[in-house]
Amino acid sequence: MDRANEIMDLSIVVPLYNECENVPELYGKIKSELEKLPLTYEIIFIDDGSTDGTWDVIEKLKANHPALKAIKFRHNCGQTSAMVAGFNYASGEIIVTLDGDLQNDPSDISILLEKIKEGYDIVSGWRKERKDHFSRVLPSRIANAVISVATGVKLHDYGCTLKAYRAECIKQLHAYGEMHRFFPALASMTGARVTEIPVKHHPRKHGTSKYGFDRIFKVFSDILAMSLIIRFSSTPLKGFVFCAIPFLFLTFCFGLMGCLAVLLDFTKGKDTIFFIATALSGMGVIHLITLGVIGELVVSTSDLTHTRLPETTKKTITIGKDQGGSN
Amino acid sequence: MLKYSVIFFLKDQNKDVLRFMKDMYELFSSRPDSFEMIVIANGTGGFLKNMLTGDPEFAGKIKAFEMSNKASQAVCLKSIMNECNGEFFVVSGSYQQLMPESYVKLLDARDDDTDIISPWRQHRFDPSIYKMQSTVFNAWVRWITGFNMHDLSCNVRIFRREVLERTDLYGNMYRFLPVFSALRGFKNKEVKCEHFKGHGEPRKARAGFYHLSIYLSRIIDIFTLYFNTSFIKKPLRFFSSIGIISIVISITINFILFLQKIFYGQNMALRPMFILAIFLLVVGVQSAGMGLLGEIIVFTHGRRKREYIIEKII
Repeated sequence: MDRANEIMDLSIVVPLYNECENVPELYGKIKSELEKLPLTYEIIFIDDGSTDGTWDVIEKLKANHPALKAIKFRHNCGQTSAMVAGFNYASGEIIVTLDGDLQNDPSDISILLEKIKEGYDIVSGWRKERKDHFSRVLPSRIANAVISVATGVKLHDYGCTLKAYRAECIKQLHAYGEMHRFFPALASMTGARVTEIPVKHHPRKHGTSKYGFDRIFKVFSDILAMSLIIRFSSTPLKGFVFCAIPFLFLTFCFGLMGCLAVLLDFTKGKDTIFFIATALSGMGVIHLITLGVIGELVVSTSDLTHTRLPETTKKTITIGKDQGGSN
Repeated sequence: MLKYSVIFFLKDQNKDVLRFMKDMYELFSSRPDSFEMIVIANGTGGFLKNMLTGDPEFAGKIKAFEMSNKASQAVCLKSIMNECNGEFFVVSGSYQQLMPESYVKLLDARDDDTDIISPWRQHRFDPSIYKMQSTVFNAWVRWITGFNMHDLSCNVRIFRREVLERTDLYGNMYRFLPVFSALRGFKNKEVKCEHFKGHGEPRKARAGFYHLSIYLSRIIDIFTLYFNTSFIKKPLRFFSSIGIISIVISITINFILFLQKIFYGQNMALRPMFILAIFLLVVGVQSAGMGLLGEIIVFTHGRRKREYIIEKII
């Protein structure tokens, strides 16, 4: 995995799952686009445990194009893992991720790179005119709006795989589960500058979409987890105290009503119920605050510190041999 | 590098174990592959020492390890892993479970594609009540994990060293090694085997039921397995589903009480149902809070655990 000696300008990371029909065309398209750019580059295909012989197609392709790099997973580990494996393997200063189903257009890579040159750390593609069925576009619109509000990073299209990252921003992230959607939001925790740019989108040619309808609950659960992590993972006590405030209010109200009931006797002796309610919600407050304290303990014992990107990397780096930016 | 490490767990002071080990030694000697014999005395070190001093010739052929206190099988295996030189581990308990010809069958079933082989005992010589319990247990595990496994109760396993290195085995989870390895993408194989009849005379039947604590720990094991298979990297999904159900019930109750107050003039706050609603609300928020704490733990401490296994890089 360690290939520190060969540094490239650009790494293209493509997660593939059951895309055997698309692989050769995809490789050809990416390659012809990249040849136009004055850059050293590498293309990394990650086979995420495909069952339709995608790996055989990749091996055949590798025989003809030795420059291709490919990683094969033992079993299907999900798109996030595929991307993380690609990021860890990539040696480029800039990493671009691309969907394996040809719905992204490789010609957009140069537009993304322009934006990176302007000084952004992450440039996300925005499929302004989506060529998908309405039933997929609508949930995705809602999800994007919710993610934007929940995470505080406003993007129109979190779901677009076509994104460009500066390597040091993305390599230090801890991503797991199905977090690939949230890379820009996650990276913004460390101070990365995120922007988006409209890209082209093509209808699917081969194969079927790998997404189902049951994803919606999962995605929303992930959004909740993500927004909580982004907001509170460095200060959990704050988050839990925030949750406890309504209960504190309830405790106060019930206690007050109980006292009034005793003093004014408007319940005809049945005032214990108020005190039971006070005790219950008071217990909730104590429990939540205790959880928050444990959370602080967990965070303080972890070796993950929320380091900000060093200022030097925020400079506009030049890319390409002709500009003398790298070898 | 040897081909096999033949490992025995010596948990009980079982006198037959020496004969069992000798039989296995014979069996492996008759095969072409290289092997080593290893015995782990788990809290039975003194017993093992006595037994081996009585037979110094055989003692020279095996490596013995003594665990200082009663550790689980998973911990034993993990801690001696680096002392074993075999490419494959053949693990058995202190009682012989399978007929010798079944061991041969298991060893023959190994091919390049298979990572772990487990036996499926066909004609068990146990009281029917045991068999029934085992059937229920295995069916339950099948239902929860979705993997088609029939005999997890048998502790005989043959697996690649890599399987043990790449799975996070802990506590009582050795039993579920096939499930854990399948989750990590290793290829399982189940081979139909014959249950060991005993030497000559049939084995004595044991009492009908286990100790109550064993059932309890099995149920807890299955719950652990369920959490491990489904939610280990996304605890919020588990806790938030409990929390959402509880909060929804609470809101429904409060809504009904509110309607009754409006239309029938019943005092809302003085009814026991109101306490139930408050209780459920507290439970709901607390379990969501637990889920959040879980997410924070995974996020801050899960960095060392890589989720994917790379098979090949070209």
